[in-house]
Amino acid sequence: MEVTRKRPIILLIICIIGILWSLVNFIMVFSPFIKKISDWTPAIFGIIVALQFISFIGVWHMKRWGPMLYISAFFAKLIFSVFVNDVSYVGIGLGSVFTVFFLIYYRRMDDEL
Amino acid sequence: MLFLTLFKESFLFAIQALVTNKLRSFLSLLGITIGIFAIISVFTMTDSLEAKLRDSVKSLGDNVIYIQKWPWTFGPDYPWWKYMDRPVPNISELDQVRKFSKKGEAFAFMVTAKGTAKYKSNSVENSDLLCVSHEYDKLRVFEVINGRYFSESESSSGKAICIIGNTIAEGLFAGEDPVGKDIKVRGNRLTVIGVLKKEGESMIGSNIDTQILIPINFARNIVDLRSDRFDPVILVKAYPGVTNDELIDELTGVMRAIRKLKPVADDDFALNQTSMLSGQVNDLFDVVGIAGWIIGGFSILVGGFGIANIMFVSVKERTNLIGIQKSLGAKNYFVLLQFLSEAVMLSVIGGILGLLLIYAGTFVVENLMDMDINLTKSNIILGLTISALIGVVSGFVPAYNGSQLDPVEAIRSN
Repeated sequence: MEVTRKRPIILLIICIIGILWSLVNFIMVFSPFIKKISDWTPAIFGIIVALQFISFIGVWHMKRWGPMLYISAFFAKLIFSVFVNDVSYVGIGLGSVFTVFFLIYYRRMDDEL
Repeated sequence: MLFLTLFKESFLFAIQALVTNKLRSFLSLLGITIGIFAIISVFTMTDSLEAKLRDSVKSLGDNVIYIQKWPWTFGPDYPWWKYMDRPVPNISELDQVRKFSKKGEAFAFMVTAKGTAKYKSNSVENSDLLCVSHEYDKLRVFEVINGRYFSESESSSGKAICIIGNTIAEGLFAGEDPVGKDIKVRGNRLTVIGVLKKEGESMIGSNIDTQILIPINFARNIVDLRSDRFDPVILVKAYPGVTNDELIDELTGVMRAIRKLKPVADDDFALNQTSMLSGQVNDLFDVVGIAGWIIGGFSILVGGFGIANIMFVSVKERTNLIGIQKSLGAKNYFVLLQFLSEAVMLSVIGGILGLLLIYAGTFVVENLMDMDINLTKSNIILGLTISALIGVVSGFVPAYNGSQLDPVEAIRSN
């Protein structure tokens, strides 16, 4: 019997904000500011942004790999921000709020791909 | 092994999709191609120009301070009327600066004038006459390719000799060896003892090829060394390890002492450095870079939607194939990676086309504008990374939807 997993409204809002935010961040990947830091910075930042985008798709489909991927990407981005000396406290706060909501609904999510 | 199989299959699928729907694929890839072209061409251009600027600054001396009457850059509330009354630096101050400065390694005095250089019936108008003291060669980077630099005795005695730039040499002595020949400048006969290596015009306006170097002690006969018209300047080069700011601090004190300025009086001299000029050009590059980023960014975003669109169509077209694959035991991740690799492949092909266009463009620009433009390794990496990532981002949703299909329903679809 197929189990339908209804997406809570708060996760819907987070996913929409997150996907749009990832697209905006994606444009930042090839900005001159990022490129100036080093040759490999755009590639690393781009991979993190792509992982965040994919994690929101996972959450959208109520899959457990979504929050897991999101948390991994969140910490990777945090380390990257510290490394390039561009820590955004708004980003950390928002990311933490997203993580809390993801963990609240984690049990309701599907553990398959 | 699985990855290689996936890669091979995805590549074949991508090629098949490209060949079967040539126009559709071409239009979808066009966005990525244009985006990569826009961004990477701007980066290539600015990188090449920045490299040229760096060379120009280096040749002028990036650790050299120019003591002058006028500053090179002005603020919005620039009191030019106060600067009018300032004295110009003079050659006697050069000796005092050399005596009191502890952080300066080399010192020179220079005035610049314009003049027509003549040899037999040939002449070069508007040549830059650089009347310099002996240590000038320690402050500026240049190479004498034919002949030699002034000797100390020639400089101090003010011998009628000169070193000419490459353009002057070509203009006056087409085919002849200039060394040892006499040229006429401002009515004075000068013997050419050296020719400078050709460098081309620098990004900050100076052009060594049109310059004629003359010992300052001879130049006294040609120009008035105390005249504001000839822009007298004292050049001071810092010792290795001494920053420009440290040297500026010291020179400020030294110049104030030499000119006996009271503690409350304003400085009556300007201490200029090449970074003031390169900073302004760098600001311009930043604006160009941001413009290219915005234009290219939106092109790439639109290109990404194109790739997503083609992948949705691709999944729809191959739904029954997905069904057969899954019914034969293919896992979700296999189908996901298959379509994701195809999207990345398509996107990377678009990116490679964009990079090839830039590569061809560099030849055109180099030939048309006589500029050295290089598509650097870092820009190639950036272009390929962006295309691969846009492939992942835009192909993930269609690929994931495809991987979640029910095998029975997928087989039934036509």
